Amino acid sequence: MSGAGLRQSQKAATRQRVLAAACDLFASQGYEAATVRQIANLAGVSVGSVFTSFASKGEILSEVMKDRLDELYAELDQVAPHLRGSTADRLRSMFAIHFAFEQRHVQLFLAHLAAAYDWTLGPGATPYGRNLRLQELILDCLNRGVADGDVDPATDLQGVVDLLRAAYAWTYRLAAWENAPVEQLTAAMDQQICLIAKGFAPR
Amino acid sequence: MKHVTPTEVTSEARVKGPTRRALAKLQTRNKVLAAARKLFSEHGYEGATIRDIAAAAGMSTGAVFANFSDKSDLFRDIMLSDTAKLVGEMREGVARARGVEDAILKIFATGYAFYKAQMPLARAAFSVSWAPQDGELFRKLEPLGEIQQLMLEQLTLGVERGELGQEAEVKLRAQMLWDAYLANYRHAIFEGWSPEALQARARDQIRVILAGARRG
Repeated sequence: MSGAGLRQSQKAATRQRVLAAACDLFASQGYEAATVRQIANLAGVSVGSVFTSFASKGEILSEVMKDRLDELYAELDQVAPHLRGSTADRLRSMFAIHFAFEQRHVQLFLAHLAAAYDWTLGPGATPYGRNLRLQELILDCLNRGVADGDVDPATDLQGVVDLLRAAYAWTYRLAAWENAPVEQLTAAMDQQICLIAKGFAPR
Repeated sequence: MKHVTPTEVTSEARVKGPTRRALAKLQTRNKVLAAARKLFSEHGYEGATIRDIAAAAGMSTGAVFANFSDKSDLFRDIMLSDTAKLVGEMREGVARARGVEDAILKIFATGYAFYKAQMPLARAAFSVSWAPQDGELFRKLEPLGEIQQLMLEQLTLGVERGELGQEAEVKLRAQMLWDAYLANYRHAIFEGWSPEALQARARDQIRVILAGARRG
């Protein structure tokens, strides 16, 4: 291996170690409490080398989430075209997949939510709410509903996307503050989807 | 020359003394609060320190601690007085509303207009409310509960007036309205939406949330 190649692979290995350590720390301590120093210690690298790969703590979290979400959305991209039933049914299935995926990492997801309003986020960070995948997925689902005739074409679809995202994010409060299991989250979301669906049904 | 009895002097002193001291204390408090408001807006909750707040207020950290037990106490005080004022304005808006949908929209619009000039402070509040330690203190702030209660009251009134059906699931709907109200702030904080743009979006969302509850 050439010198440059070796440096590249060392850099990639450091990056992976930092992301794994950060994933553990954000999940166990929360976003605010976990420090870059702790992440570096756990990864067995220097604080300086963390900053050669990442501009800020927010960017580290973004990368942790991105790696995980790539997996989730790869799954959903495969599943979504085959979902059956009404628009409400398809939305329920999609969110059930989300909750099932996040269930073992609820604390990490909460860290992701908390970080969305962090002051120190660099431009490289993608906090919750600015991840376009979920928005596109919901919008596709609603557009299919318009084509199928169970979504009123006069509906402000982007407004409905926002309502569903708000419901999704806030449903996590049941997990965060009441320790609710994933079945309860899914049930709470189903109820809200059902109610929103009445709002976008054709008159 | 007016004759003043010794008892009058002491009683006057008893009234004036503590009042003057209380006034000075109030002025100090207000100075600290003004500085804190500025720094929380500029640096967020985590980024603002008591030391910086004291310096901006032109006093020692000791003087700050004589009035507030810690940073969270300070932030809580600001949120408490702001939100209490906001609830009052929302109630005034609701009193002028025509029908349940308009009443809910007035609640939303009052909030967006209230925070128009201080979005960074709203952002700091959202950030704190998700924090594992301090979060609960802010989420359970009494006036915030009053806003949610106000939304619930309006839906219940809508049922009583026959605008909404008896099976309107008012609790779930009030909860979802509250979530939507809060979530929309994101557009103002990160994308610079005006209160009018937020209000237009909110109008459609409120219609969607209430559609299934409408009678007939």
